[in-house]
Amino acid sequence: MTLQDLILKLSAFWASHGCLLQQPLDLEVGAGTSHPETLFRVLGPKPWSVGYVQPSRRPDDGRFGQNPNRLFKHHQYQVILKPSPDEVQQTYLESLEACGINPRQHDIRFEEDNWESPTLGAWGIGWQVMLDGLEITQFTYFQQVGGIDLAPISCEITYGLERIAMFLQRVDNVFDLEWGGGVKYAEVRLQEEIDQSKYAFGQVDMPADEFAALHRELFDRNYGFSERLLASGLIWPALEHCLKCSHLFNILDSSGSIGVTERTAYILRVRQLAVRIARAYVEASPGSDGQDAGPHA
Amino acid sequence: MDRELLIEIGCEEIPASWLPGLTTQVAQRLDARLADVRLTSESPAESYSTPRRLTARVAKLAERQTDLEDVVTGPPVLAAFTGSGEPTPAAVGFAKKYGVDVGALERHDTPKGTYLAYRVRQRGKATVDVLADVMGGLLRDLTFPKAMRWDAYLEDGRGDLLFARPIRWLVLMYGGRVVPFVIRRTELAQGPTVQDVRSGSNTYGHRFLTTSGRAGRAIKIKTFGDYQARLLENFVILDRSERESKIRRELETHARRLGGRVGSLAAVQSTLLQEVPDLVEYPSVVAGHFPVEFLQLPEEVLTTTMIHHQHNFPVVDDEGRLKSAFLAVINMEPERPEIIARNAERVLAARLRDARFFWDEDRKATLDSRIDRLSTIAFHKKLGSYREKADRVASLARWIAADACGRPEAAAHAERAGRLCKADLATDMVRELTELQGTMGGIYAREEGLPEEVWKAIYFHYLPIGVEADAPPSRAQLDAAAVTWAAVALADKLDSVVGMFSAGERPTGSRDPLGLRRQAQGVVKILADLPELTGLDLRLPIGLLLARAADPFSGYAEWSGPLLAFMRDRLTYLLEQRGYDVRSVRAVTHAGLERTSPLEARRKLEALEEMSAVGATYTSPLHGVATLLKRVKNITKGVEAEPHWAGLQARLTEPAERALWARIDERAQGIREAAARGDYRDAFTGIAALQPAVATFFDDVLVMAEDERLRRARLALVAALRDLILEIADISEIVAEGAP
Repeated sequence: MTLQDLILKLSAFWASHGCLLQQPLDLEVGAGTSHPETLFRVLGPKPWSVGYVQPSRRPDDGRFGQNPNRLFKHHQYQVILKPSPDEVQQTYLESLEACGINPRQHDIRFEEDNWESPTLGAWGIGWQVMLDGLEITQFTYFQQVGGIDLAPISCEITYGLERIAMFLQRVDNVFDLEWGGGVKYAEVRLQEEIDQSKYAFGQVDMPADEFAALHRELFDRNYGFSERLLASGLIWPALEHCLKCSHLFNILDSSGSIGVTERTAYILRVRQLAVRIARAYVEASPGSDGQDAGPHA
Repeated sequence: MDRELLIEIGCEEIPASWLPGLTTQVAQRLDARLADVRLTSESPAESYSTPRRLTARVAKLAERQTDLEDVVTGPPVLAAFTGSGEPTPAAVGFAKKYGVDVGALERHDTPKGTYLAYRVRQRGKATVDVLADVMGGLLRDLTFPKAMRWDAYLEDGRGDLLFARPIRWLVLMYGGRVVPFVIRRTELAQGPTVQDVRSGSNTYGHRFLTTSGRAGRAIKIKTFGDYQARLLENFVILDRSERESKIRRELETHARRLGGRVGSLAAVQSTLLQEVPDLVEYPSVVAGHFPVEFLQLPEEVLTTTMIHHQHNFPVVDDEGRLKSAFLAVINMEPERPEIIARNAERVLAARLRDARFFWDEDRKATLDSRIDRLSTIAFHKKLGSYREKADRVASLARWIAADACGRPEAAAHAERAGRLCKADLATDMVRELTELQGTMGGIYAREEGLPEEVWKAIYFHYLPIGVEADAPPSRAQLDAAAVTWAAVALADKLDSVVGMFSAGERPTGSRDPLGLRRQAQGVVKILADLPELTGLDLRLPIGLLLARAADPFSGYAEWSGPLLAFMRDRLTYLLEQRGYDVRSVRAVTHAGLERTSPLEARRKLEALEEMSAVGATYTSPLHGVATLLKRVKNITKGVEAEPHWAGLQARLTEPAERALWARIDERAQGIREAAARGDYRDAFTGIAALQPAVATFFDDVLVMAEDERLRRARLALVAALRDLILEIADISEIVAEGAP
């Protein structure tokens, strides 16, 4: 099964289980959780089920395209089920079957692994799902997002698409994956991985202090603008600029541009902004009194 | 008639490390709840668990509550009747409340007088009518390291029901019949896909395996025996010990087939073996191989990757060398085990490829060159980065080697190892395999060609972890690095403990997120076993080391009290773990931690034990002195030692007191000298030899004499005796309460 077939299978499966199919957030983020389809939708009482692919950037994991398992950017298939159905584990296992994984021929286990995002003020309880010793999914019952206790509880299922595709195609190097129609992953993404890794580790034709100063400035400008947007009640764009800050912080971190005290301070600043945005979303949402949330909630 | 109670809480996968504790809790809490509602059983509750269920059974539980009998007191008799003997309104009211005549009330004598009383006899309710309360109480009573909300509540007015993981089914049966009970789901969540959990008689087997029908379907059960048998048919082994022995059996068989045995790293592996039975409902074992070329990696890297990251068991040959094979415990009875084995091999090989990449890359740079990177790794928000910690540890290690241990020739190596001991935090290998902190640094230092005194000090600096006298490392392992290791291991731990106390991070109750107790335990253990570990026969007082370690931090005086108390607890724990009586431990640590050396305390305990002063016989001379010391301490409370007590001897006239004076004068120096050279057996023997004189003194002489001058002289005499003994140990502690 090609990578794109896998995406099609998962999309078809979750659409048939009542999920809206959404599109990736068109911004640099580290995980599908940052997408407002997760970050906002799990807040408040309104039921919501959605599935989407999210390209996820982890500057620190960049390996210049030389590591067979590690990528600057990988792809997640993200599913949010709110409220979390009683049969959710069973349904998840059926989704694996739909992708061609027969649970009776493998060893599938749910092993404790709780999830936490310090920059989003979010945490949850759950497992990593292990398939013959390979971690293929993070399965989380969100407890808090933006520092707010959730009710009802949402379930987040995050599939690691490259991992599952490698398992299904029996390849040991991600760049050997077939993306689709005979085209290899390397052909689609290798050069991007090399360039992005060089950028993430500061291998730019530019003095290191200038590189750091520029990213600090970008961080500050986006931060300040996000606050202005928030003050104007424009919650969606405020979140987007907050997410830009989060990514810029990741670049500052991976390029070794910040020391330890500064690092903690950056994390705290992003969290404070994310928490304020989440609060504003809940307060502005007509769903917060139990009524239907409008499209612009 | 007594009937069987069966409870099964069906859950999504509960974390493996919680299960042993939870299993115990379920039985204890259930027994407590049953006792609360006066339900008696022949034997206590049995409990079982798998990742997906917590099960409890009471074989024979009474059909009814025990009847309640209680006496309710009413008004005093004096106020209950008028002068003519008619009941007062108070008495009539009380009787009416219980629906009886005043004549039917009893009289109840209390220290405060006689009262009217009504004897309540309440017939016990049927067990089925109280079990719902027991069930609710049990669910509320269970505690978890981390609980989650899952949109559930109980109708007991206490709101949300937090639990380990969502509960998906519930068996609650008494005498083969379902007792109704319901866990409600909140209004916000409830709907077609989110429903109340109602008690029933259905359990569920293995998710994927079954002998008949669809895997994971509901299975109707009646009794516990039936339950256990039906589960087994459906590939769930309820009893943990049966799962464990199946795992052991299959591990051995497969290892033999591979021409080896399961690795001899007993400690590490038994941890893994302790964990795997709680990860599976129906275990079996598959064997896999990895490419031979990975055997060139350090053994520590291979075993850590296998054990900690993949839960795989390494296989070794007869000489204990790793083979290129591993065993994996799975939760299946696969038709084609080779499919799972091949996949597990691919995962392990990918990890080992990563490890080899790190191994090759990391060795391109020296540890020295990594020290600057440590400034980007946080140690603690108030204590700065690991760079700063490394500087502190280096300076402290140097001081310990040169000054505390008097080994200036080891100082440079100790300082070097101290500065480098955290450098591996900046290597790719340790960022990936965090368990190898220290070990990896040691290996890289060895590869760089640093001297044994340095690389071994780094390699072992996290140890010791246990308090046992033979906890690693051993003298033989340390060899030439013994002193530098001790200096670095002590410096690292002291810096963490002292630093964290200065930052206000103190362990409280069960909370010790920074592992300070273990670190402090390591300090105490090294000091107590210093001669065996390093060949240095030094009685180093903890207070001295703490004060030096506190140099870089401010305000030692403000938090030294709690720190010393904390360290004292660790020392006490170590000594008690080694089997010494709690009273003897108190006796040898009475002087306060600033003046106590763990080695000294340990040697005193050994001497006391040799002399069988404790618990053996009340007639031993040392025990005699100990008993009298109690009296001495009482009468000399507040009496300061007389600096010139010898000068007071002229006032002593009684033969018994002159004899005691003479004995002390004659023995004191010998006792003090024996203690100074660490021969506590000799010191205690000297003290024991005072026994006849002390005994006669107390028989014949009245200390609290009328004459003030005489009294003062006698008090000075006994105070001198007291201080001579207390310099070594407060042996009055070893006298059992109520002993003669």
